[in-house]
Amino acid sequence: MSARDFISLENVGREELLEVMELARDQEEGRLGRLLEGRTVCLAFFEPSTRTAASFELAARRAGADVVSLSSGTSSISKGESLVDTVVTLDRLGMDALIIRHPAAGAASLASRHTSAAVVNAGDGCGQHPTQALLDLYALGKSLGGFEELAGRRAAIVGDILHSRVARSVIPAFGTAGIEVSLVAPATLLPREADVWRLPVLGSVDEALEWGAEVLYMLRLQKERMSGALVPSVAEYARYYGVGRRHLRPGVRVMHPGPVNRGVEIASDVVLDGSSLIPDQVSAGIAVRTAVLALATGSVERAAA
Amino acid sequence: MSTRSGADRELVIRGAHVLDPSSGLDGVMDVRISGGRVAEVGEDLHGVRELDASGLHLFPGFVDVHAHWRTPGREEEEDLESGSAAAAAGGFTGVVMMPNTDPVLDRPALVSGLVRRAERESRVRAYVAAALHAGLAGSELTEMRLLKEAGALCVSDDGPGTQNADVLRSGMLYARSAGLAVLLHCEDRSLAKGVVHDGVAAALAGVPATPASAEDAATATALVLAAETGARVHITHVSTALSAALVGFFKGRAGVTADTTPHHLTLTDDLVRTLEGLYRVNPPLRPEGDRREVIEALRDGTLDFVATDHAPHAAQRKELPLQEAAPGFLGHETAFAALYTELVLGESLPLSRLVEAMSCAPGRWVGGLGSLAVGAPADIALADLEEEWTVERESLSSRSHNSPYLGRRMRGRIVGTIVGGELVHDRMGAKLGVRT
Repeated sequence: MSARDFISLENVGREELLEVMELARDQEEGRLGRLLEGRTVCLAFFEPSTRTAASFELAARRAGADVVSLSSGTSSISKGESLVDTVVTLDRLGMDALIIRHPAAGAASLASRHTSAAVVNAGDGCGQHPTQALLDLYALGKSLGGFEELAGRRAAIVGDILHSRVARSVIPAFGTAGIEVSLVAPATLLPREADVWRLPVLGSVDEALEWGAEVLYMLRLQKERMSGALVPSVAEYARYYGVGRRHLRPGVRVMHPGPVNRGVEIASDVVLDGSSLIPDQVSAGIAVRTAVLALATGSVERAAA
Repeated sequence: MSTRSGADRELVIRGAHVLDPSSGLDGVMDVRISGGRVAEVGEDLHGVRELDASGLHLFPGFVDVHAHWRTPGREEEEDLESGSAAAAAGGFTGVVMMPNTDPVLDRPALVSGLVRRAERESRVRAYVAAALHAGLAGSELTEMRLLKEAGALCVSDDGPGTQNADVLRSGMLYARSAGLAVLLHCEDRSLAKGVVHDGVAAALAGVPATPASAEDAATATALVLAAETGARVHITHVSTALSAALVGFFKGRAGVTADTTPHHLTLTDDLVRTLEGLYRVNPPLRPEGDRREVIEALRDGTLDFVATDHAPHAAQRKELPLQEAAPGFLGHETAFAALYTELVLGESLPLSRLVEAMSCAPGRWVGGLGSLAVGAPADIALADLEEEWTVERESLSSRSHNSPYLGRRMRGRIVGTIVGGELVHDRMGAKLGVRT
């Protein structure tokens, strides 16, 4: 993370994570107010999104920002205008933050080289999704009694790690917060060089629980990968890489970045179980994204630049 | 290459360190050029026109069997003038143009037309690789005998490759009977679904990745078929340890030659961590382990020579996220300096092996080039091995700027290039003296 951009959580320090967490708490407790008044925030979504776009937009508006929304269905983005051209145009219109989602990894970083506005990566291909990981940390920390309570916990990240931008942000963020992480996925859904993370790779949710996972972080299995060459069947996937009621025990929390394939990653009756943090993750989105926008636009001083 | 005034005149290049492994030349001496050919190499030669090359190294001109000059069809990215200027700036005196133009070079009239244009517009000797299959589509054979008559040097399906082994086998058999070499880009497209090497960088960056097996499997298939058909097969841009080993295994069992590129010899997939479209190339940049094995394969001759795969792209095709960018790098102007800096100075590769790999071996493959033997074409590269320079977009002769070496400091620079006795690139200043 450079001084103003939120593009990747690789190489982001503990102090910076803590800063976001504390600001998010301030927001939730009503201490930030209309912090973004007078700021202009632009959402440029080059691929469809419902929850992330809504979450960012609400965060910006509630904090008083002017919000401009572009999406691939309603703008020149759909006319084949290049990413760089779009960003340069937006830059000239003047904005304080550009929230960008794009189907290609690296898009946010490329955009940041063509604008003086702060760039917040709202998901780039299979690359990064930093605010998702930050809100996950916030929701998890809150359920455990605070950010400091995260250190020493064990979390298993389960599912399609190969294609997951959420995993690529959650892995370094959880690690920096002191959480021990393991990966649970068949080899077809892991990067060939998954060893680079130096994390244990386990064969099933059951093994993850034996390993001592208190957090089961489930990743969405994309429909096109549900059966065929990467996964033999939904039934087999759900048996080994899905969470069912039988996995629930005191102290185990289930997380998912959403939307959930019910009965695939998580059994239907578990999604809204008391052990599920999924609703907390969604509501943490507003607080954390307000904090991120405040830091990105310089509306509050950042401790660690 | 155009016929120029002066090509028939005599020129004596004095005082350079002449290095030509093909002729066993290695020392400070003078070279007399007459009628566009090497007339004499020896000591204390004089002539009416003299070029003072003291302090410089003199090599047989480099030969690049794999280049994309984008003519016809994409001249805004490169044309015969700019491509050949870039080649000359890099010390290349002979270049083979690949057939993936628009239209594809799959018909005799297109080939003969391009050969004629190159004679007029190119500063260096430019040769044409025609398509092996119509439209590079890997199904219908091209008229290879007519293509050869039209001036094609070899045939290739270039980037798309020939994906069906049976079709490739027929292509090799027919090319053999037509007397044409087959140049192969080996890539199994059923495995090559990504844009970077499937390694650590891909895992961390989250970019669609292609396993090394995409190259290795296709290389193995091509080598097996070459051994069976007896075709003259050249495997271009070998980039993996296993493919290099496979080529080594088949040497002596098939009429096979192979090259690798300056970028696969000097860069690794660490660069794709930046996610910049600039660094997308095909085959992709590999990890350090592959790079080391490829260097060793070049050192021991398993890989016969170096080719650049010079592939200019306009800024709007490279200034994109990695997975959306067009694959390819510029190559001509930085090849010698990159390899001299990284391999000769950095890895103790003998300079003579580098000259063999850039001049002599590819020159023999093209035919009659890459040598300073008396009577050979007077094609020469003059290099200042002491000059340090930084690769900058403003200094590039190509119409495009997609060099992976932009901003890199290099040692050794081509300062003069001579084709058929004529200076086609000159950074030496007024060193051409005329004696009265």
